[in-house]
Amino acid sequence: MTNTIEQLPILNVDRISVYYGQFQAVKEVSLDVRPGEIFGLLGPNGAGKTSTLSAIEGLIKPATGQIKVVGFDIVGQPLYAKANMGVQLQATSFQPELTITDILKLYAGVYGVKLSKEEVFNRLQEIKLEDAAEKKFGQLSGGQQQRVSLLIATIHNPALVLLDEPTTGLDPQSRRQLWERIEAIRAKGHGVLLTTHSMEEAEAVCDRIAIIDHGRIIAIDTPERLISLHREDPEVISVSRKGRITLEDVFIGLTGRAVRS
Amino acid sequence: METRIPAIKDVLRTLLQADFTTVWRNRRSLRMVLLVPILILISWKGAVDKIGPAVVMASAITIGLASIGLLGYSGTIARDRDKGVFQRLRVAPVPTWTIMLSRISIQVGLIALMTLLIFIVGFAVDKISLSALGYVTGLLVTLLAGWLYLGLGQLIVALIKNPETVNSTSRLVYVAFIMIGMLGQFGAFGKAMKDIVQWSPYGVVQKALAGSLQPLSWTSDHTMALLATIGYTVVFVALGIKYFKWDNK
Ligand SMILES: Nc1ncnc2c1ncn2[C@@H]1O[C@H](COP(=O)(O)OP(=O)(O)OP(=O)(O)O)[C@@H](O)[C@H]1O
Ligand SMILES: [Mg+2]
Repeated sequence: MTNTIEQLPILNVDRISVYYGQFQAVKEVSLDVRPGEIFGLLGPNGAGKTSTLSAIEGLIKPATGQIKVVGFDIVGQPLYAKANMGVQLQATSFQPELTITDILKLYAGVYGVKLSKEEVFNRLQEIKLEDAAEKKFGQLSGGQQQRVSLLIATIHNPALVLLDEPTTGLDPQSRRQLWERIEAIRAKGHGVLLTTHSMEEAEAVCDRIAIIDHGRIIAIDTPERLISLHREDPEVISVSRKGRITLEDVFIGLTGRAVRS
Repeated sequence: METRIPAIKDVLRTLLQADFTTVWRNRRSLRMVLLVPILILISWKGAVDKIGPAVVMASAITIGLASIGLLGYSGTIARDRDKGVFQRLRVAPVPTWTIMLSRISIQVGLIALMTLLIFIVGFAVDKISLSALGYVTGLLVTLLAGWLYLGLGQLIVALIKNPETVNSTSRLVYVAFIMIGMLGQFGAFGKAMKDIVQWSPYGVVQKALAGSLQPLSWTSDHTMALLATIGYTVVFVALGIKYFKWDNK
């Protein structure tokens, strides 16, 4: 059992398509997240990042294709697949009546983790929120909320962590701190799939990235290789500034200048 | 690394605890839901001799059930769906039905509490005492009829996405129940309206409850009302589940 999981990619997404009614939001997307890898999914607003994640999380059933989390099919064995992933949704909230301690206990419980009072305190101390134990989620700042969400996403030490725009709205200090936490997950040999609009973040923490546009993946590689592969493209050069080609130039070169509706 | 799925009973215990805390901390809504039927029971004290103790008690309980289903349950479901609370729970390794079962169980507990309060206040204030059997069958029928109003609340949430619209719609339905149901049943709006009210979800529940509180004078009318209650419940619950969406998009 132990061996088979180590040999597999932690996440395997194979040609999935997602529809909302007639509208196709995700088109034949394939990607792998390997053990000890931080994988970034980049794309303009409405490109299909959250929809792709929703399919992986089992919230939407893809019309075609297959998704496996450490070998478990999300459609065929949803509970086993879900037990191996931790999730931070793009827009999530908790019941406003619950305190941070209540929320922690709730999510520990639904992931089958038993937490004593002390352990709850320790976990909160790790994210420097031990003083907020009795506060409500809504009373925390955006950065503090993100820390709680990430703590809950990793409460069961999952092999795969899915983070939808985890650093949006964070100050530079909190963002760095979050990167370190994400890198600590990688150091354990687990896989992380995150979405971001920050090219700086993608370059700084992601081992590989995929650029998705209009529901289709148009490039997939390491950030360095994406830059060197496309540095001669006329579209990329035309958007570059101060004679330097950055990942953002490549991103805009590949996805176009137009702002998405 | 071996995959372990949390045991259903542990999941349910955790969910129940959270859902109980949510209802308990929501004191304003809790008070409202329990107070309205009690106020009706108290203010109808003078009517006990005219329309009978069972009818007074049954009316108060029916309003209590409507409060729980329409003012309490539907509002929190709509709000939590809008906030993404359900989506977050659904990405956890728990069968989806446990999420709803836990919510509904807490409401059923609330229904039992409301009924006991009505029994106690009815005895203490209105001097209504029923046979031991009447209390038992009354509670059982209340627990059954409660599903009708939970189902109606569920149906409203299933058909309407916006939580504010859900709230105003359920309030409107609730007020309609009180105004039209309570007054109409005594013929305040004429014979035709009285017949309509009698076969409405308000009328059948109130009738079945009145019968169950005095089981020894149970008639075929009460049986019809009970069957109609079950019929409404099946329809509301079935449609409420069929059209329910876990997210708001
Ligand atoms: N529930 C839904 N019903 C209908 N269309 C939807 C739904 N959810 C998303 N869409 C559409 O699908 C497309 C992809 O949306 P998605 O949320 O996946 O984008 P995204 O890449 O996450 O964007 P963002 O960067 O803004 O978060 C968009 O055009 C969006 O309008
Ligand atoms: Mg998104």
